[in-house]
Amino acid sequence: MWRKIIMLAAVVMLLVAVGSSAQDLALKGGMILTITQGTIENGTIVIQNGKITALGPNVAVPPGIEVIDVSGKFVMPGLIDTHTHIAITDGNEATDPVTPQIWMREALDPSSDAIRKTLAGGITTVKTMHGSANVIGGVNVTIKLKYNRPIEEMIVKGVRHQLKMALGENPKRLYGGRGRSPSTRMGNAYVARKAFIEAREYKAKWDKYEKDKAAGKKDISPPKKDLKMETLKMVLEKKLSVDCHTYRAEEIIWIIDFCQEFGIDLLQLSHCIDGYKVADVMAQAKVSFGGWVDWWGYKEEAYDGCPYGFKIMHDAGVNIVINSDSADEGRYPYLNAAKVLKYNDMPEIEALKMITLNAAVSLEMEDRIGSLEVGKDGDIAVFSHHPLDSTTRCLMTIIEGEIFFDFDKESIMVKGVHQ
Amino acid sequence: MKKINSVLAFMVGLFLVTGLLAQAQDTILIKNGKIMPVVGNPIANGSLLIQKGKIVKIGTDISAPADAKIIDAQGMYVYPGMVAPLTAVGVTGYPGAGSDTDEVGVSTPHMDVYDALNPEDDCIDVTRIDGVTTVMTVAGTRKVINGKTVILNLEGSLAENMVMKRYAAQIFNMGAKTQGKYPSTFMGVNTLIRDKLNQAQLYVEKQKKAQQKDKKKKDQAEDNQEKRNLEMEALAPVVMGKVPALFMTSDEVQIRNALEIIKEYKLKGIIYARDGILKYVMRLAKEKIPVIWGGTTTIPQRWEPFDLNYHAAAGLAAHGVLFAFNESGRGPGSRNVRRQPVPASLSVAYGLSEEEAIKAITINPAKILGIDDQVGSLEEGKIANVIICSKSLIQLSSRIHTVIIKGKIIPMTSFQTRLRDMYKKVVQERIQKQKK
Repeated sequence: MWRKIIMLAAVVMLLVAVGSSAQDLALKGGMILTITQGTIENGTIVIQNGKITALGPNVAVPPGIEVIDVSGKFVMPGLIDTHTHIAITDGNEATDPVTPQIWMREALDPSSDAIRKTLAGGITTVKTMHGSANVIGGVNVTIKLKYNRPIEEMIVKGVRHQLKMALGENPKRLYGGRGRSPSTRMGNAYVARKAFIEAREYKAKWDKYEKDKAAGKKDISPPKKDLKMETLKMVLEKKLSVDCHTYRAEEIIWIIDFCQEFGIDLLQLSHCIDGYKVADVMAQAKVSFGGWVDWWGYKEEAYDGCPYGFKIMHDAGVNIVINSDSADEGRYPYLNAAKVLKYNDMPEIEALKMITLNAAVSLEMEDRIGSLEVGKDGDIAVFSHHPLDSTTRCLMTIIEGEIFFDFDKESIMVKGVHQ
Repeated sequence: MKKINSVLAFMVGLFLVTGLLAQAQDTILIKNGKIMPVVGNPIANGSLLIQKGKIVKIGTDISAPADAKIIDAQGMYVYPGMVAPLTAVGVTGYPGAGSDTDEVGVSTPHMDVYDALNPEDDCIDVTRIDGVTTVMTVAGTRKVINGKTVILNLEGSLAENMVMKRYAAQIFNMGAKTQGKYPSTFMGVNTLIRDKLNQAQLYVEKQKKAQQKDKKKKDQAEDNQEKRNLEMEALAPVVMGKVPALFMTSDEVQIRNALEIIKEYKLKGIIYARDGILKYVMRLAKEKIPVIWGGTTTIPQRWEPFDLNYHAAAGLAAHGVLFAFNESGRGPGSRNVRRQPVPASLSVAYGLSEEEAIKAITINPAKILGIDDQVGSLEEGKIANVIICSKSLIQLSSRIHTVIIKGKIIPMTSFQTRLRDMYKKVVQERIQKQKK
């Protein structure tokens, strides 16, 4: 009897707990940078059940919702980083050039401090990735930066996650250094091709089995499960997409052709140093550029990194995304967005899109995040100044209506060092 | 024969004339700009006159000399060129071709980076067209004792034309322990440095004595002279306090160790720090030891506030420590010296005044390196290293419009602008072709 009562109490408490994080919130009086629908001065934004339900200059806040005054502050969609390695306790299964059986979600660490440090820059969604040791690495995971929450709450549901591939110097150097293939770019290409040819055969076997089974055939047994092939089969079935680490122009063209040949959805080219040289090809293939603004020359294949290339890509119609690939730079993507304007003639809004909406497009989440619109997730960053003013700082980071970073509670400037 | 002689004479004359022309300095008048001298107040609608490579006049009403090239800086800011105190500009080379920094060994104070300077290094153009006009280039940073640095103004077709100061500092690295070899611990690093400095002190003493003996017995001078030791010769001016000793540190323990050595050997010390600096602000201020702060973007420990290092420069300034920024990011060889304003911007966002931030990328590094009598601010008599940009220097979207180094207007080109021009055309042509 007592046990039943305790159980019931526990269930009730759990429900209350869920209810209290009901994620209703309103921000009032801010300069709202919607990204898609211009700027709203002195606007109000209402979030209910984690989604934006109202937004505009004259919005009445429903009763019972907590209102935060953000007068004079800048309100924008939470920032998105589509290439990072934070919040994982392992990065590279560097034992074989083909390891699609590796899933980064297995190494997610929700209490990683890097999440807190990143939240402090207004970032709400990241794609955290396998490293670049292998030609076919593991499956990346797209997460909301819900610090210290259960892994299942962090992982974004209902979107395709992306398989990491890597070409160029990294796999060459690693495996070549061990005296094995791939040690050349040709080797990288061979390894990828061989894997996907095998995957096609594997898929054909399973397709046949499923067909026979559906037709009621008897005396059939399923083919042997192979976890490597299972992942690649998902790629061929378009249940997963691909993000490929590339530097050089010829590699960019190679991987685009390769993915077209195998019917693979290639969504982003990461690092993509030479992207501007083949901007027209990338635009046509509808693959996003993911990279930095001004890194160059830290290795041979990175030599031609060119901050002026953004304008060339923009004019050709490439979806441009600024990535960090770094726990350090992942904390202030808005500064890198400002740098784009230093080197390229383009409207400010285009630079802002590179850390918001364009990134959402690269993740196939543009209907959920990347701009402030009714119906989208309540993921919001509040800044002290315009995000492209380099003296700005993030004051608040909100994910689905819940505050995950508050400058006033965490800054050394407010609370000192040792508190 | 006579004819040949006269031809020769003509040729020599021609060489002389062209040589002189190449050396002739422009007279440049910048007008209508917002002059930001860095020392002293900004001048709205100001003018700045450059003659023979120097700033000769700053004011509101300067009439243009007849031969002056006039630059209208309407709506723009005029700053001194930025100074980057710890770089590899001039020796970055092409990746894969081998680096010219960090010679083999744990103690190589006698390596002089001047010997490897390449005036065609791509990094020079890339760096200067973003407004960094003066750099200190190092022979290395990864060994315990690294070598002689050189200060360059980034203009000149030959290395010697670029040099502003030879042996500007000696670099010690407090964290340069090596696996499996001496020194493999921090204690080892400290001991090795003390050992070398002791030897250098002794070397100086012996040289002094030998010189005194020489004066008595001139004919026996050769016998009395100590055998030359290039390593000790390089360290001698350091222990004599003539050449600054720059200590690379990456945490608070290494900062403390460096401070101890500076005190013990009465060195002209400079601390380069990437972390842990806030704990030492009082001591640094009291002992008047300058800091090259390269840790603005170092991620704080997990128990520390997220903005500990963003805010550190404000702490240094509040206590009156002389400090300069250095965005070495992934090491001095990172080639991204043009990122000097990044730590300045972040520090202003987290509490530093804009004025102090700009000093820390101009006049402060010049002071720390002992070249503030020549560069780092806009003052009459200084070398004309001047940049004109669209916004404040700490705005990362600020465009650099004009760069003048040693009174010469620098072409705003680099291999990156050439890549831009080339591929803009290539891509557009392909798009046009497809449309047809």
